[in-house]
Amino acid sequence: MVTVSFNNVWKDYGGGALAVKELNMNIKDGEFVSLLGPSGCGKSTSLRMLAGLEHISSGEIVFGDKIVNTLPPKDRDIAMVFENYALYPHKTIFDNIANPLKQAKIPADEIKRRVIDVAKLLEIEQLLERRPQELSGGQKQRTAIGRAIVRQPQVFLFDEPIAHLDAKLRARMRSELKHLQHKLGVTTIYVTHDQLEALTMADRIAVMNDGVLQQFDTPQEVYQNPANSWVATFVGEPGMSLMEMEMTRMDGDLALAFENKTIKLDLKNKARLTAAGKTKLLVGIRPDKASVSQLEIPGAFECQIYSRQLLGADVLVEVEFGTSRVRAKADTSFVGAVGAVCHLIFRSEDMYFFDAEDGKAIPHQC
Amino acid sequence: MTISASPKTHPAMSDQDWGFLTMSRLPSKYNPAPSRMFYVYLAAPAITLLAAITIYPFLWLVYMSFHKVGFGAREDIFVGFDNFSRMFSDSKYIDGWVLLLKYSAICLSIQVFVGVALAVVLNNSRYEKILITLFLMPMMVSPVVAGLLFYYLYNGTFGWYHWIFESLGLLGEASILASSNTALYGIILVDVWQWTPLITLITLAGLKRVPQDQLEANMVDGAGSISNFFNVSLPNIYPFLLIAILLRFMDNFRFIDAILALTGGGPGNSTRLLPVYLFDVSFQYFKLGRGGAIALTLLIVTIIFGLILVRILEDPARKKALSGETDS
Amino acid sequence: MASREIISYDKGVAIKLLKWISPVFLGFYLIWALLPLFIMFMASFKDLLDAFSVPDAGDWAGVTMFFDFSPTFTHYVALFTENNFGVYLLNSLFASIGSAIIAVTLGSMCAYSLSRSEFRGKKDLLFWIISTRMAPIVAVIVPLYAIFRSADLVGTLPGLILAYTTFNLPFAIWMLKGFFDGIPYAIEEAAQVDGKNRFQAFLMILPLAAPGIGAFVILCILFAWNDFLFSTIIGSGGAKTLPVATKELVQPQNIDWGKIMAAGIVTTAPMIPLGLLVRRYLVAGLTMGAVKD
Repeated sequence: MVTVSFNNVWKDYGGGALAVKELNMNIKDGEFVSLLGPSGCGKSTSLRMLAGLEHISSGEIVFGDKIVNTLPPKDRDIAMVFENYALYPHKTIFDNIANPLKQAKIPADEIKRRVIDVAKLLEIEQLLERRPQELSGGQKQRTAIGRAIVRQPQVFLFDEPIAHLDAKLRARMRSELKHLQHKLGVTTIYVTHDQLEALTMADRIAVMNDGVLQQFDTPQEVYQNPANSWVATFVGEPGMSLMEMEMTRMDGDLALAFENKTIKLDLKNKARLTAAGKTKLLVGIRPDKASVSQLEIPGAFECQIYSRQLLGADVLVEVEFGTSRVRAKADTSFVGAVGAVCHLIFRSEDMYFFDAEDGKAIPHQC
Repeated sequence: MTISASPKTHPAMSDQDWGFLTMSRLPSKYNPAPSRMFYVYLAAPAITLLAAITIYPFLWLVYMSFHKVGFGAREDIFVGFDNFSRMFSDSKYIDGWVLLLKYSAICLSIQVFVGVALAVVLNNSRYEKILITLFLMPMMVSPVVAGLLFYYLYNGTFGWYHWIFESLGLLGEASILASSNTALYGIILVDVWQWTPLITLITLAGLKRVPQDQLEANMVDGAGSISNFFNVSLPNIYPFLLIAILLRFMDNFRFIDAILALTGGGPGNSTRLLPVYLFDVSFQYFKLGRGGAIALTLLIVTIIFGLILVRILEDPARKKALSGETDS
Repeated sequence: MASREIISYDKGVAIKLLKWISPVFLGFYLIWALLPLFIMFMASFKDLLDAFSVPDAGDWAGVTMFFDFSPTFTHYVALFTENNFGVYLLNSLFASIGSAIIAVTLGSMCAYSLSRSEFRGKKDLLFWIISTRMAPIVAVIVPLYAIFRSADLVGTLPGLILAYTTFNLPFAIWMLKGFFDGIPYAIEEAAQVDGKNRFQAFLMILPLAAPGIGAFVILCILFAWNDFLFSTIIGSGGAKTLPVATKELVQPQNIDWGKIMAAGIVTTAPMIPLGLLVRRYLVAGLTMGAVKD
């Protein structure tokens, strides 16, 4: 149980390939933090630097009050669950889980007791004499987790552990892992590219893109107040739609100009945008806050249907709105062919605003 | 990339052919289904040639082993199992097996020990590629030339290797090949010189296939590099080594070129391994009948080991390990 | 994203020790591996007297004697003028290339058939094919000699080529089958859909297999060139090859070591570049496809 800090950490692979740039992050004791981002964003590299499997190019990583840069993995008191489980094919499940304890030269009867306890906890005690080849994906993954928790380390590291399980099992494992972590209370860093995993499991999410930390906040904050337009579109499924708009005046009031239409602003956002003083904006709207209808409703915008996808409970309609495409939700009763005309409604209260030049979110007025 | 090979789903097979297939063991040239003929035609030349030069001689071998083979105008005399019974009571035959096994055991022990050590060191070296290419050179030499070369090097009067042995106090004036106590080691050295790189090559291929995440998991579990090697690498390269050992063992049955050049089987019978003895019997004493009997026993043992080798190669778990697929 | 190297921390006495021993070990092995060849090379240029001069036992400083000689080409010249090595070189060349071509031509067709077809007994057929490659040459040679003799093939190049084929053909079938197994059948299917017949479809994938086929031609040449047993029993007389000729230079009296060393160089030299060429396939070739580099 320990705090984990990245202090100005960089990772340079040479030849100008900077995988991690100026990473600063303080993770609390016992916290479940998710490193979220697309492939190549630096999340796995950051995790591996925590583990000691990659050298740190510059900066420090601190566990508690100890700088761990020069410590090999075995001296860091960490445990890691690998994406492909990394089980030892020539050992039984028992020996796989017992491996870290054997390395630490713990007496055999103690090893046996702890391994069986862990196996019972993960419901794999009947598999202890089998080999990894005989196990299913889910069982292998639980073995890998068993190997990690049997040691009671101070930090858990997970590298996309459920990526290769089927969808239903993934959903189950999300809740199992969250429960387990809560029970054990160990500081956990969990790498994933799946924003749903991050949103559902983490106490705080560290969103990364292109080696740079974009935002480090609770799931609610990341969802409701994304720090920039990239985070806004990455988090949330189906993703937010972005439109380029300009500030303009209508009836002496601040409004948004989009194509040849003008959109009125609500009071709160009017104040916010006035204070920011930017002219070119990226405006975002989440699909569940936008709706389409066949009927002409005042305040709705005319648009053309691009695609229609059934999501189960409702329908996701993608419409062409000027030069942008906007995703909106509709009732399952909505029937529109591709190319047909329909009407798009969204409120300015639900809009997200970002500076068109650097993508940063326009700050809220307090 | 591999296509499922089960008959029901093999892509090259069309449905109409199944009736035919259940009736014959080999593609019948007399009653084939239309599209099958293509494969038969294509394979026929090779199969016929191979059959001609292997089955026919094999039958002749069996025939000879039951006869006293005459020369020139002389007839072959049927002798029943006489050749075989004489063979089993022939001390040179028994010694031939003993020497063969002793030779193989010593050669392989040294080759595996040195070869694996070399592979580990090379794997961690910057100069791996250039060095392994240089280390391969001995394998390119014709074994008989290697034998002659070492015959020169071992010579008691002007051999440079003998000079080294003598200077180190390992030998007296007599060449290593001159004494029946040491000659076997002389030929063992040549085999080790030529074929250790093969073990190294195979081990290197295996080492490179050890899944990286297993090594990393072991490091996180608390292991240093030594433990990494014994705990993870070695078990992973085990199938490779097994195959290497089996192949070299079977090669010892086949290649006697170097031994013929070095000692011809002597001094005395100290290097008369069974294949060498067979060579003597057939081409020096010209007792083709007895030679045939010996050859048959040699062949049978080779086939047994060949079956073991194929079993190992075809075993699905081994196959996966050898091709380097990770377990996920 | 992650590097492929296993990270190393320079801790532990064992690792430091290894770092010191490694270059020494590699250096020693390099000398061990190349010294005999080096000596063979040098000795081929030494005349009779120099070839026999070796320092006394224990006289380590005498190593310089090894380098103290005036190089001469007489041995090489003599090989070709007195000992007919030109003929033997050509024999080796024709026999190995001939055998390689036959083996790979017939073998690739057969391998392709076996790769693409399925039938009961296929496993047994494959085992029979590979067992011919495993058979001890000494065992096979006796009846083979008898058969060849009655067919008047002993001492002829075609006879020798045929003899080499006993091990090159099964080798080619086995290895090339593995190769074809790795090429998806989809390409031939596409070709047939496009209107080609079965044989043309086969030809279409040959370019894909070309590097492998090329490598095995060279491997076949390598094995045939270095062979001694078949060459000496079947080939001697009219189809003597370099290894046999080299061995025969060892006469009971007056062994001309300089000449023998020169012959050894002539026999070995062409194989070195060939070996380097197929370096990538060597492991597969020598382990019968069990291990791929």
